Amino acid sequence: MNITIISESSNGSLHSVTAQLVGAASSLGGSITVICPGGIGSSDAANISGVTKVISVEGDCFENYDCSAWSESLSPLAEGDLLLSSSSAIGRELISSIAASKGIPVVQDVTSLTGGLLATRSIYSGKAIEEVSISPPCAISLRANSFESAGEGGSGEVSTVNVSQDVAVAVKQALAKASERLDVSEADIIISGGRGMGEPANFSHLNEVADLLGAAVGASRAAVDTWEEIPHSMQVGQTGKTVTPNLYIAVGISGAIQHLAGMRSSKFILAINKDPEAPIFGVADYGVVSTWEEALPVLKEQLAEMLSN
Amino acid sequence: MGVAVLLKQVPDTTAKISISGGRVDEASITKWSISPYDEYALENAIKLKESGFGDVVAITCGPSRSAKCLTEAAAVGADRLIHIISESPLDSIQVQSLLSAAVKESGCDVVMCGKQAADTNSGSTGPGLAASLGFSCVGGATEVSMDGGVASATRLGPSGMEEVEVGVPCVFTFDKGDSELRRPNVRGIMMAKKKPIDIFAPDDLGVDVSNSMVSIKSHSSPPEKQPGQKFVGSDSIPEVVSKLREEANVI
Amino acid sequence: MAYEALDFFDIDSLLTEEERMVRDMVRDWVEERVLPNIEDACRDGVFPDEWRAEIGEMGILGAPLEGYGCPGLSYIAYGLICQELERGDSGVRSFASVQGSLAMYPIWDFGSEEQKEKYLPGMAKGDLVGCFGLTEPDYGSNPGDMITRAEDKGDHFLLNGAKMWITNGTIADLAVVWAKLDGEIRGFIVEKDDEGFSAPEMKGKHSLKASVTSELVFQDCKIPKDRILPDVKGLRGPFSCLNNARYGISWGAVGAAQSCFNSAREYALSRIQFGHPIASFQLVQNKLSWMLREITKGQLLAYHIGKKKDDGSWIPEQISLAKMNNVDMALEIARMSRDIHGANGILDEYPVMRHMANLESVKTYEGTHDIHNLILGRHITGIQSFTREP
Repeated sequence: MNITIISESSNGSLHSVTAQLVGAASSLGGSITVICPGGIGSSDAANISGVTKVISVEGDCFENYDCSAWSESLSPLAEGDLLLSSSSAIGRELISSIAASKGIPVVQDVTSLTGGLLATRSIYSGKAIEEVSISPPCAISLRANSFESAGEGGSGEVSTVNVSQDVAVAVKQALAKASERLDVSEADIIISGGRGMGEPANFSHLNEVADLLGAAVGASRAAVDTWEEIPHSMQVGQTGKTVTPNLYIAVGISGAIQHLAGMRSSKFILAINKDPEAPIFGVADYGVVSTWEEALPVLKEQLAEMLSN
Repeated sequence: MGVAVLLKQVPDTTAKISISGGRVDEASITKWSISPYDEYALENAIKLKESGFGDVVAITCGPSRSAKCLTEAAAVGADRLIHIISESPLDSIQVQSLLSAAVKESGCDVVMCGKQAADTNSGSTGPGLAASLGFSCVGGATEVSMDGGVASATRLGPSGMEEVEVGVPCVFTFDKGDSELRRPNVRGIMMAKKKPIDIFAPDDLGVDVSNSMVSIKSHSSPPEKQPGQKFVGSDSIPEVVSKLREEANVI
Repeated sequence: MAYEALDFFDIDSLLTEEERMVRDMVRDWVEERVLPNIEDACRDGVFPDEWRAEIGEMGILGAPLEGYGCPGLSYIAYGLICQELERGDSGVRSFASVQGSLAMYPIWDFGSEEQKEKYLPGMAKGDLVGCFGLTEPDYGSNPGDMITRAEDKGDHFLLNGAKMWITNGTIADLAVVWAKLDGEIRGFIVEKDDEGFSAPEMKGKHSLKASVTSELVFQDCKIPKDRILPDVKGLRGPFSCLNNARYGISWGAVGAAQSCFNSAREYALSRIQFGHPIASFQLVQNKLSWMLREITKGQLLAYHIGKKKDDGSWIPEQISLAKMNNVDMALEIARMSRDIHGANGILDEYPVMRHMANLESVKTYEGTHDIHNLILGRHITGIQSFTREP
């Protein structure tokens, strides 16, 4: 099988998910070509074990992401039976566009892939799992951190192609990031504080973690009722909002039934509470028995480190 | 002139999904709705119509129950309703061919849809349709306005929110924005009742959907949640954080 | 935690698409606008003006009336509107019932062309708020002996008297007031700026707190001659209005009961005692099962009387039965639901005690439970037992 991978970049260098894409491709067998838009990370890509060829695609249109320009440039170079990308926002958009140009089907956000081709992905926002069989030629985007990374030590051959596509979408201006925090009802990640935070000013520590994660900050009814500074709009629970984030971090919240009603459908729950008997540990996927004063600084440090990699 | 809005009917995001015989049991789904991101596309399309841009053509592709999406769109102001009938699941090429043919039929050169549907969560239709129609594509837009032949859009770009300009023809995929979605009112509901729906079978659009390279093998419930893991002391946090990434894949 | 409205015998399948869309429109509005704010509105004792405006925008006021900017929906649709509003709060439904059935309806049925053109379009939009003045401090179940009187003064009418327990009174632009002219009950439209008219709010309620309840006071209140409703005399006028409102209430009570049942069921499934959810205990299941039976019966009654209203084959006694039965079962369900919630049931975290307190008013207004009982008794036996005299 000839497999072509569209590499992913971030901050001017190759994103680690690219090695995962190679790892997934390797388990299928065949030649692996990595296409690097804008030439970013092409030498690193060549070093990934299993990569046969790297095509470094250069041109003005790669200065900023532009779906049509990138797709039109890369599509003729993406030959082969299987096209892979990551399922990041850009990855999905690009692979859909290329797949449509080539008249091949695309399946997105796949979490396992075996010869055949048999692919697994989650549907209905994770409420069900779907297994599909796909006949090449086809395109598939893979979810990050679902496949083993290929190691280093590769020696792919790098060739350069120059293109000159017109950019269709002109960026007029960047808009200032809204200073308002995300609302709890919309966020994928929420960190909430309860009365265990001690005083409302301590919510600033939660804000710091939230900033790192792009999360919303919520509160239990107890905190909202006790402290004027914590507004009702932050309340998660029965009369507050019902939330279904991917990750809910409950800090200093005991887990009374009214609060649980509001957040128990979260995909994953991390609870930090100094009381080992707190009811919240009954629903938490990961429970840490610790005071928030000790736990939050460590959490912040670990997250900062992990997210900068 | 005119905006085509692509609407997909999906199980309401609050509906329970149950599996029966290795397939999602559609009969047990109690509520079907317009996919949430598509609603933002519809709202923006109606706003464009109100600013004088032209008619709104609502298009859906799906089984007969999908017609409800079109009636709901009519109740808030859609002018023309197109239903492409398809009783079975379609792969990306099939659905894009059908929608592409319908968009051409409608004569619209601006297309709006949600950035991804709530059932597949894929996000292939917008960009794929743009490529096959030869239209430009702006993804993740939260607001689009037109001035002459030029569109201005607010969208989430790689480095944050930005304002962009693009010419027509163009496909815009929508993310949740600040716009409040308008409610229908009784008058809208009663007028929607009377609005005819143009029904097309794939053959009518000249599209052959008899073969697909993708076939569903099975549906299953997500694995049972692992029992909760308890750790003592803040020293455990590094391990917990790595589990959040490796096991839970939430960061 | 999505709201699932109990519909065990699948009334949904009997509805037209239009009726379903109207119901869903109101349900979504209640979900987005009422439920997040109702407990605060209750604590503060206010009916937010935004709700008046939004209800007006939806176009649901005066639901079954045709013409003059009115919706012209079926009685089933009207019932569904009441059901969904009251699932939110009885006070919100009361606003709509009074506006539509008690203020718009009498003008629509008994008013002159000029009166209909002048008031109905604005009332349908919610721009003009109406209220209904029948009940007096000393005349509730016995409206026929009312003492509010109107005198014909040649170029105007002079009204004297007082009405009490009037929903919307203080915020109303107009009041449809029933008063005796030469000993005969007639309807009069009083506008809020008419000389000698005031509408103070009644405070201190434990029930229908998110609703405006008022007195209407007429002290030599002068109103122009063209304000009398020309086409009705006697109690027939107010009773026709009440029948329409009572019909809506029979559906509304179902909505309140559905809300209480839903809350009880979810609570029972989450609350763990003795190592098990209380939903696994027999006594709790017995209560939930009773609620399901009563709500289902109530829905069928409401639906059937709705069909009869739509085809014109109804009689008032049938509406009495539906109102009385459904409010009784809803009140009992609210109490039972509170009981299932344990101590948590007394908090406004849960809607149950609010519904319970509201339903006490709903049981008494629009014809008390006992009065409807006697209406049916008279129907069965042919003998009235409201008074000691024959």
